[in-house]
Amino acid sequence: MPEVEYTTQVALPREAVWEFVKDMNNWAPYLTGYQTHEVLSETDSIWTLKGDVGVLARIVKLKAHVTEWNGPERVSFTLTGLNEQVDGDGTLEMGAAVEAPEGGSAPSKAPVVKRSFLGRILDAVFRFFFRRMHGPAPVRALPGAGPSSQLKFRLRMDAGGPTGPLVNAMLAPALLPAAEDLANKIAAHLESEKK
Amino acid sequence: MDWFKKKKRWDLETDVLALGTGAAGMTAALAAHAAGASVMLLEKSRLVGGTTAVSGGVVWVPNNHHLAEVGIEDSRAEALAYVKRLTDGRTDDALVERFVDAAPAMVEWVEAQTPLRFKALARYPDYHPEFPGGKPGGRSLDPGLFDANDLGPWKKSLRRSPVFGMTAMTVAEATDWGVFSKPLKLPFKLLGERYGKGLVCYGGALAGQLLKALLDRKIEPRLEHAARELVVEEGRVTGVRVEHQGLEVFVRARRGVILASGGFEWNRALAAQFLGGVLTHPNSPPGNEGDGLKMAMAVGADLANMSEAWWCPSLVIPGEEYDGKPLNRGDFATRSLPHTIIVNKKGRRFVNEAQNYNDLMKAFFAFEPNAYERPNLPAWLIFDHAYLEKYALMTVMPGQPAPEWLTRADTLDELARILGIDARGLGQTVDRFNGFAVEGVDPDFARGESLYDRFYGDPDHQPNANLGTITKKPFYALEVHPGAIGTKGGARVNVDAQVLRVDGAPIPGLYAAGNVMAGVTGAGYPGAGSTIAAAMTFGYLAGRHAAATSGT
Repeated sequence: MPEVEYTTQVALPREAVWEFVKDMNNWAPYLTGYQTHEVLSETDSIWTLKGDVGVLARIVKLKAHVTEWNGPERVSFTLTGLNEQVDGDGTLEMGAAVEAPEGGSAPSKAPVVKRSFLGRILDAVFRFFFRRMHGPAPVRALPGAGPSSQLKFRLRMDAGGPTGPLVNAMLAPALLPAAEDLANKIAAHLESEKK
Repeated sequence: MDWFKKKKRWDLETDVLALGTGAAGMTAALAAHAAGASVMLLEKSRLVGGTTAVSGGVVWVPNNHHLAEVGIEDSRAEALAYVKRLTDGRTDDALVERFVDAAPAMVEWVEAQTPLRFKALARYPDYHPEFPGGKPGGRSLDPGLFDANDLGPWKKSLRRSPVFGMTAMTVAEATDWGVFSKPLKLPFKLLGERYGKGLVCYGGALAGQLLKALLDRKIEPRLEHAARELVVEEGRVTGVRVEHQGLEVFVRARRGVILASGGFEWNRALAAQFLGGVLTHPNSPPGNEGDGLKMAMAVGADLANMSEAWWCPSLVIPGEEYDGKPLNRGDFATRSLPHTIIVNKKGRRFVNEAQNYNDLMKAFFAFEPNAYERPNLPAWLIFDHAYLEKYALMTVMPGQPAPEWLTRADTLDELARILGIDARGLGQTVDRFNGFAVEGVDPDFARGESLYDRFYGDPDHQPNANLGTITKKPFYALEVHPGAIGTKGGARVNVDAQVLRVDGAPIPGLYAAGNVMAGVTGAGYPGAGSTIAAAMTFGYLAGRHAAATSGT
């Protein structure tokens, strides 16, 4: 079951990040392949995404259920496929504020999941197609001096049914770019608002 | 060509210029290079492989040297009798004979020049195996699996099939594993591992290995180079005007230009203008817009077989896209399995649903002169829940919930009402068909009588591998759209693949191969891989002939 984690630094205190993240309506459009979302309740919503499965694009409907709403540190959720046999879960974590080094630093990434050499090649190939389909990565300004925080996004997806092993193999290289995209787009949005 | 007269210079020069990176273009480039010519290969899209790369990738080669390995006997006479029957009088006999004679030599040559090592498929029937010269075991060759990592940085530029591109299995494996009738028995863990390793199959394997052979010869296709106009000087084609990233590039071809740019199935105007049927849902990459055809017409090429296509029924899952266009999935098996029928708006069957995809579609285009309409368009696949319990429906595996994109109802009357078709007709049709399914014989359309039909059926379903009752609610419907894996009308050529003028004389310096060429099989589809075999054979002939000319 593919699982990825991506961390980036945001040039804002975590309370400011939380103010944005706590409302799903704010960041749902930053999900890769976002089409629409429908809020059912405070904890439940339905996301419609145009997801890449291998080399084709397909509409995927996911029900998101928030399991932990622990501001300003963390929001956790589960995902259940409504039209595909897939489920998963994820967390957005706002890390404790850290002082950026003088002159700022580039957004950092720290994928926890180790990939084999072959896997990294596959990631690179996939990233090439991903960028062609979804456009370039968001442009981030270098953070200046001042308070900053870490935004960490963890995502796990697991395809079920008899074809699960094959679909998981296809999903695996798609997840990291998707996690990067969401975290970086949130960060880029907040940093642009700050100016 | 005022633009060229003004410019009077070439940006690039080569001996032989091939346009398109499907099997035709890549084989042509390899053949020309092996014969001593310098070669350039242009591709309009950002990916290599063309229609070939999204296909089944097998090659239908009569009388080939691998058939004996699986115990199939063949002869030139049998092959000629079979192919000529299927052309329906649309192809010169000399061209058919050239294909039958040259295709086996082409395969031997390709195996000597590329990493490709074909394997004969022992039981992939010709598409009319009962016709004189038809083979129950078929004549199709499988390109096997290919490790796309062998392409190095070009791996990312190899086109992948949206249907076959994710399940790396050979055609022989697919047959042995029961890909159509026993999808749950497929080894998905193994397929996932193969996907992760970068293995590709079918058309991806064929295109990948041809590309590997080109790269080994230091020939790198130039991607996103769209050929737009042929340059003619003193009656000879000497080059091409190309668009690349908004700029015009003029490429001189000293010995010849080989059109291998695919068909015109995605060009609605050309399709409406020429095709004998109604084509709304092509199955090929959307770049097949008739570029080569238009260039050939502009220099006076004779045309032939323009009303024909490699027809194929299409099914659609809403929201699926490929190359930015809606994905139209060719239906090769669903309609052949038990518990399915295809009906028109009167609720009537009108064809053997398990017939080969090319010939099946012609029944969709039947014309009723009194009503002045095509009574079999639109048409729907009708099936029951027993089908969904046992068989796959595109991405839906047996036992999974019925997807929302299916029309469903608890009664056939209600299903007919939702579809807007004749409920009484549908009820009578299903009653009659259920009787056939119990008896195991279809006296109306002979479904299941041909070995070809049974190849796509369920061998464990008795008494007929293709007939099953439609009785278990809910009942489902899915529209069957007119599609094609490519068109097969285009520039008429001679036995050396030289494009001919209307008066029959060759246009010096111009060749054609693949779906831009008037198809050698005319109206017919002899067996799996006929389109690729003809493409590679005439590409091979074109490359060799062009390389051998004195040029300009």
